[in-house]
Amino acid sequence: MSATVQRLEVTASPAAARLARLNRLDTVGLLITLVTLVGAIIWAFPLYWGLVTTFKHEYEIVRPGFQPWPEHFTFENYVHVLLQTKIGYWYINSLITSVAVTVLVVIMAASAGYAISQLDFPGRRFFWWMILGSFMVPIPALIVTHFIVISQLGLINTLAGVVGPQLIAPVTVIIYKQFFDSVPKDFREAAAMDGANDFQLLFRIYLPMNWGVTTALAIITFIGAWNLFLWPFLAVSSEDKMNITVGITQVHDNYGISYGRDLAVAMLAALPVAVVYLIFQRRVTQAIMLSAGIKG
Amino acid sequence: MSAGAAEIVGAASPHVELRRVTKRYGSVTAISDLTLTVDKGSFTALLGPSGCGKSTLLRMIAGLEAITAGQCFIDGVDVSDLPPAKRRIAMVFQSYALYPHMTVRQNIAFSLSVAGQPKKVQNARALEVARVLQLESYLDRRPAELSGGQRQRVAIGRALVRKPEAFLFDEPLSNLDAKLRVQMRLELAKLHADLGTTMIYVTHDQTEAMTLADKIVVLDKGVISQVGSPLDLYNAPANKFVAAFIGSPGMNFFKVDIAAIDGKAASIVLPGGQKAEAPVRTDAADLRSAELGVRPEHLILVDPDDAAAVFGGAVRIVEHLGNSTLVYVDTAAGQLIVEGEGNLKVKSGETVGLKLNEEHAHLFGATGATL
Amino acid sequence: MIRSSRSEYLSAAVLMAPFFVIYAIFFVYPTIKMVELSFTNAPLIGPGKWVGLDNYFRLASDRLFSIAVWNTIYFVALSVPSGVLLALVIALGVNRLKGWLQSIVLAAFFLPYILPVSVVYRIWGWMFDKDFGVAQYVLAPLNGGQHLSVFRTVPLFMPAVAFITVWWCLGFSLLLFIAGLRNISSEIYEAAELDGAGRWLQFQRITWPLIWPVTVLVFTIQLILQLKIFDQVYLFTQGSRVDVNMVMVFYILRQAFQLNKGGLGAASAVVLFLVIVVLSVLQFQLLRARGQK
Repeated sequence: MSATVQRLEVTASPAAARLARLNRLDTVGLLITLVTLVGAIIWAFPLYWGLVTTFKHEYEIVRPGFQPWPEHFTFENYVHVLLQTKIGYWYINSLITSVAVTVLVVIMAASAGYAISQLDFPGRRFFWWMILGSFMVPIPALIVTHFIVISQLGLINTLAGVVGPQLIAPVTVIIYKQFFDSVPKDFREAAAMDGANDFQLLFRIYLPMNWGVTTALAIITFIGAWNLFLWPFLAVSSEDKMNITVGITQVHDNYGISYGRDLAVAMLAALPVAVVYLIFQRRVTQAIMLSAGIKG
Repeated sequence: MSAGAAEIVGAASPHVELRRVTKRYGSVTAISDLTLTVDKGSFTALLGPSGCGKSTLLRMIAGLEAITAGQCFIDGVDVSDLPPAKRRIAMVFQSYALYPHMTVRQNIAFSLSVAGQPKKVQNARALEVARVLQLESYLDRRPAELSGGQRQRVAIGRALVRKPEAFLFDEPLSNLDAKLRVQMRLELAKLHADLGTTMIYVTHDQTEAMTLADKIVVLDKGVISQVGSPLDLYNAPANKFVAAFIGSPGMNFFKVDIAAIDGKAASIVLPGGQKAEAPVRTDAADLRSAELGVRPEHLILVDPDDAAAVFGGAVRIVEHLGNSTLVYVDTAAGQLIVEGEGNLKVKSGETVGLKLNEEHAHLFGATGATL
Repeated sequence: MIRSSRSEYLSAAVLMAPFFVIYAIFFVYPTIKMVELSFTNAPLIGPGKWVGLDNYFRLASDRLFSIAVWNTIYFVALSVPSGVLLALVIALGVNRLKGWLQSIVLAAFFLPYILPVSVVYRIWGWMFDKDFGVAQYVLAPLNGGQHLSVFRTVPLFMPAVAFITVWWCLGFSLLLFIAGLRNISSEIYEAAELDGAGRWLQFQRITWPLIWPVTVLVFTIQLILQLKIFDQVYLFTQGSRVDVNMVMVFYILRQAFQLNKGGLGAASAVVLFLVIVVLSVLQFQLLRARGQK
């Protein structure tokens, strides 16, 4: 009798402890989740605060006190910026250069990646090693010589000059090469038997079969080109040739500092890429993983 | 059993011919001095276990593998250096290689589109082919939405639309389940009967080869073991390899001693001491170690005391298949498989005697060749 | 497959040509020119005389260069370890979430990374604004009641820029950590829990060792990335003393563009280039060794 009671006590203990731990786990887990959520809110605050400020009148902005929401919602900052600055030029410039860079990089990188992956030609290994090594070279270090080259080509202060150095994309070539490598040989043979030449193979089989990668790379290339500051800053001096990332730093109001307007123009600059990200979240994630995978 | 001794069946010049071809991969020689011919309109199977070179031969005919030495002829023309697209042949791959991003229609019409044919022609021809293969209602689907059998038919359709001189099949049924395989076999047979185009078919499955082909080329480690019709190979195997490969369940083999050879018959001593007579089919007078091969259906179960019994033993396993019964008997010659009637009444553990159908026994010499 | 070599070479040439022309013009030639230029006393545009290692000696003795190097190291030390660790911690939290909540939270942390640097500059310039910035509610009490001009206070400049950079770039590291965490099969955690391991122990014994390769990868990527810093420093330095907060890329640009000393600028660029290449190779070897383990 006593033995049974004793045994029950012994077995009850670990189970009770486990149950207690289970309950405790829940609380800790909940705490962690809560902290994460609060962290996200804190992290998003600066962006939110900047955005909200753009919808306030200037007098409200400089008023003491903390107002998380505009008392009087207004678009006047945006209107002013859209009408009084060269933002239209900047948008178009950014659009042209970003799209040009994206399209050119994708086509060139896919072609080169295909050639290295599928074709056999003299110097193939050499080119591949050169490309592999080149992503270690920091572009900012080449800025000076890029400037020299572009000015020798007479392309300073032109959109083409802005585009040129951005076309170096070894990582993109590497990614394409790896994806093309993974296409089963059967497809190549079947298409070859059907009479396809290499260009048809690339554009009708290999690229379409890897459409997701292309989309991801295109998006991230676009965002990178849109956001680029250093090179366009150096290469362009006249305001109407600037891209928007550079342009917004050049807003000098004759009326003195205007926080609302400065932020409004910044928000306008960020809007396209933010929208692209929010729509294509998964693709952006995929592209970042891919490029990090290359480096790792 | 060298390749040079392969027969050339058929009076007319062959439709497809590999003449004295050698294939080397670096320092490894996979195929050496092999000659293979395929007649026009025939269904020729290249049969053998993995690694025997059958796929390599097919790919050399297709132009997907370079021929290290030797030549390939299609319809009398030397195509050895021609790229695959120029050889007027079409291939069905084991994995089908259907372009996943294209519809069935686009897959089938791909070769036409590559050649720059107008859309109307492409669609018309694709429809034609789809009708033949009963794929009409699937023309706008993608391969991922199709079943295995349907995908197979699309692969065939893609080859069909090119109106090739010959079809090459690389183990096309191996990705299908058993039932589907039987169904597709029938369809392939029908296709061949309807079209009459030369078909070269690679497989490791002897049932497929036996049922589909009118000529089988059995390959063993890069060498042709025997060429012949299915029944020829079944009833008159040229060597032990072919005898063992063809037929299911496989032939029984055991060592025998040859006491004497008298013209077309040899007196042999079976394991266990019984004497029998086996036919001698060649002129070989090789009296050294020999093996006897006998198919399960040529062993008959009799009473253990039966005078005609040459083996005696205990029944180990009985497999009832419905239309036949397989009995595994432990004898002095090892475990022998006996095939009997479907309603054969025998139980595991019983002692039985085995009678030998001497006419259908095969003697194999030391080298494996039939005696 | 049988194919004519000639047609293959031709196809290859056509396909490779565009990329390679660009590559030659904007990569190979600039790299060579940069090295060559570093041995001359040329201005930005135009020829110059060969001076051997003169430029490099000048760099070694240039106080401003040492400041730039020191500031760069300082900045990297401030932003990289903290950024990486913070990203890991946040990843642990985000990884627990599921579905749309996770997507939203992830977007909140990641969105800054999508922003152009100038937008980040505006946002944080506003946050820290001396007169009306919301951060003054926190800073002023710490500054004896007076508003603080963060970017003009020399000791605060780098930490502030590092802080902002962490806010800006965390998303990238976060993504990689989350991917790495996802790769750890949940079964391992379940087994550990059955064995009685608590949360902290699970982290110590399972998560940390298994995520270590990713940690190293993220750390080295960020390290190499942040060594090239320029944009934020330049933007936040506008209107105040530039020299004190100089970083390496800034130094390069100053020599080459502002002082028109092409040769010297190139030399400093070569130094930066070498540092980064050495680190990249080290990273590659480190990861390879880890991978083989």
